[in-house]
Amino acid sequence: MQHDEVIWQVIRHNHCSFMAKITTGNFCRNPYNITGVCNRSSCPLANSRYATIRDHDGVFYLYMKTIERAHKPNELWERVKLPRNYEKALEIIDKHLMYWPKFLVHKAKQRLTKMTQMSIRMRKLALKTREKIMTTPRKEIKRESRREKKAETAAELDKSIEKELLERLNGGLYGDIHNILPKHFNKILDENELQAVSEDEEYEEEPEIEYVQGYDDLEEEDDIEDFGGFAIDESLKNNDDAHEDEEGMDSVDGKRVKRRSESAHQKMEEDERRKSKKKAKVLVEVEHEDASERQRATF
Amino acid sequence: MAAAARPLVSVQPLPASLNDMATDHVTTVALPDVMKASIRPDIVNFVHSNISKNSRQPYAVSKKAGHQTSAESWGTGRAVSRIPRVSGGGTHRAGQGAFGNMCRGGRMFAPTKTWRRWHRKVNVNQKRYAVVSAIAASSIPSLVMARGHRVESVPEMPLVISDSAESIEKTSTAIKVLKEIGAYPDAEKAKDSQAIRPGKGKMRNRRYISRKGPLIVYGTEGAKLVKAFRNIPGVDVANVERLNLLKLAPGGHLGRFVIWTKSAIEKLDSIYGSFEKCSEKKQGYVLPRSKMVNADLARIINSDEVQSVVKPIKKEIKRASLKKNPLKNLNVMLKLNPYAKTARRMALLAEAERVKSKKEKLDKKRKPVSKEELAAAKAAGKAWYKTMISDSDYTEFENFTKWLGVSQ
Repeated sequence: MQHDEVIWQVIRHNHCSFMAKITTGNFCRNPYNITGVCNRSSCPLANSRYATIRDHDGVFYLYMKTIERAHKPNELWERVKLPRNYEKALEIIDKHLMYWPKFLVHKAKQRLTKMTQMSIRMRKLALKTREKIMTTPRKEIKRESRREKKAETAAELDKSIEKELLERLNGGLYGDIHNILPKHFNKILDENELQAVSEDEEYEEEPEIEYVQGYDDLEEEDDIEDFGGFAIDESLKNNDDAHEDEEGMDSVDGKRVKRRSESAHQKMEEDERRKSKKKAKVLVEVEHEDASERQRATF
Repeated sequence: MAAAARPLVSVQPLPASLNDMATDHVTTVALPDVMKASIRPDIVNFVHSNISKNSRQPYAVSKKAGHQTSAESWGTGRAVSRIPRVSGGGTHRAGQGAFGNMCRGGRMFAPTKTWRRWHRKVNVNQKRYAVVSAIAASSIPSLVMARGHRVESVPEMPLVISDSAESIEKTSTAIKVLKEIGAYPDAEKAKDSQAIRPGKGKMRNRRYISRKGPLIVYGTEGAKLVKAFRNIPGVDVANVERLNLLKLAPGGHLGRFVIWTKSAIEKLDSIYGSFEKCSEKKQGYVLPRSKMVNADLARIINSDEVQSVVKPIKKEIKRASLKKNPLKNLNVMLKLNPYAKTARRMALLAEAERVKSKKEKLDKKRKPVSKEELAAAKAAGKAWYKTMISDSDYTEFENFTKWLGVSQ
């Protein structure tokens, strides 16, 4: 009736709900299994005399079952509390499993050893603070970054900072120093300057001297060649003159003379360059011919 | 068969609050012989797979499917394959292939027929063997746990409850009873496992699946407990006289958790008989005998009766050695013929002698001859020659004168 062999045959070859097959081997999910492997000698169902070590809230218990109670699943497992001291626990195991098969005694002690080691390690780890890896779903991460960008643009941080600083400035927080932030200082000056100019124009309508830029004078010139690449330089020079002197015609005449001499000088320079180039070309040709002759000779 | 003392199964009493009959003392029932029958998972598997075919309904495709066309093959010469093609014109369908299993809109290969053999006949004895095996397996807690039932809190296996349970009418009391006897975790497991089936079975009237819970077996006909227990998810109810293998071993796996009522278990003996006594209900049926009465092989081998007669273990094992040729291997030759040693020694010595003497002779001959020896050898040669040329020196000539006929 209660034959271990029969039970094992049925369990192993037909179906056992505790057996878990992995690529590395067969394992047993039964909580009372001493090794965790699905084996003839480790199966708690197929061995009527069996022992395990289990832990409950950190306390280790030795569980034993005998064939006398095999038909009463309620009272099947008898448990003995093991002391915290490792050596004493080993002694208790020896005492209770005294005439039991050596396999079970050995495995019970092995299991106790392993469990004590694990509990020591767990206690040590609990003292250290370990970072917990929290996963965020990708959707959320993307959503948050998108919203962050939008919020940044909506906040108009620059303007609010400006306002705040201006208030502070006006409030006299910085004393008499006005150009703490040069960029903003210049910008405000520009804005205020324009306002001042416009105000001036409204009030004072005296456009006395109009400072004309060099471009107008250039248009009177005949030679367009002189414009060419030199126009820009001359205009710059003219601007400088305008700032320094408030003379009109004298400076312009001077410019004309300057221009002509400059243009003539520059023309000569050009011719020289061309000549030198021609000479260079001749020389080059000779060399080439020699080179080519040499090559032919080799052929 | 030692059937002297049969173990007793105690009947679990139900609390007095549920019914009027208060059982103070715990009664016991003798374990029926069925529970000691041999457990044969192979027979159970075979019978289960065949019996489960018996409730099938036939399915088939329409016999006209794919043939409702008047298609003819165009034959050869038209640069198309020879499959029959639909005749006519004016529609897409014209000229398309028909009839073949490879054609679109053609009939399938081997159209399924309703006259397929759906049901299986199983021998009565085999069916009974399977049921008996399943009942026996249900009394072993290990097998019941291996099948997946939660029986850790059950007081005893096989679980027998008093007959007062048969008159339970309300499902609520039924659940209370299950909780009392420790069978509720199993029923709870079945209830928690209710889920929608994955796959097409969903839309084929097999929408829900769940685990199996306990099976309640009652003895008296028309017991009210059927109605009380049948609505609990996972719980099945059965009459002892009509036990179904498909319920006792669902899926072909032995070890369903069975809850018997007292009257049911008392009836088992009369229904199935014992190993010697015929059953009363099943004519001439005797419980099947196992090949091994005591299947505990390890125990048998280690028993005193066997060990006392067994020969001791051979520690030194003699294995067959490689055969060596005595003609080539001297030691092996000596094992067979010890004289071979001396014989070979003599032969070797004689050989050495011969070689030596020959060498001496040759050396002597090859040595340069001295003058005296040379003179002596020459003289001897001359003398011999003289004897050869002189007839008169032939001393025994007279003897032969008679028959030689010599004139001289």
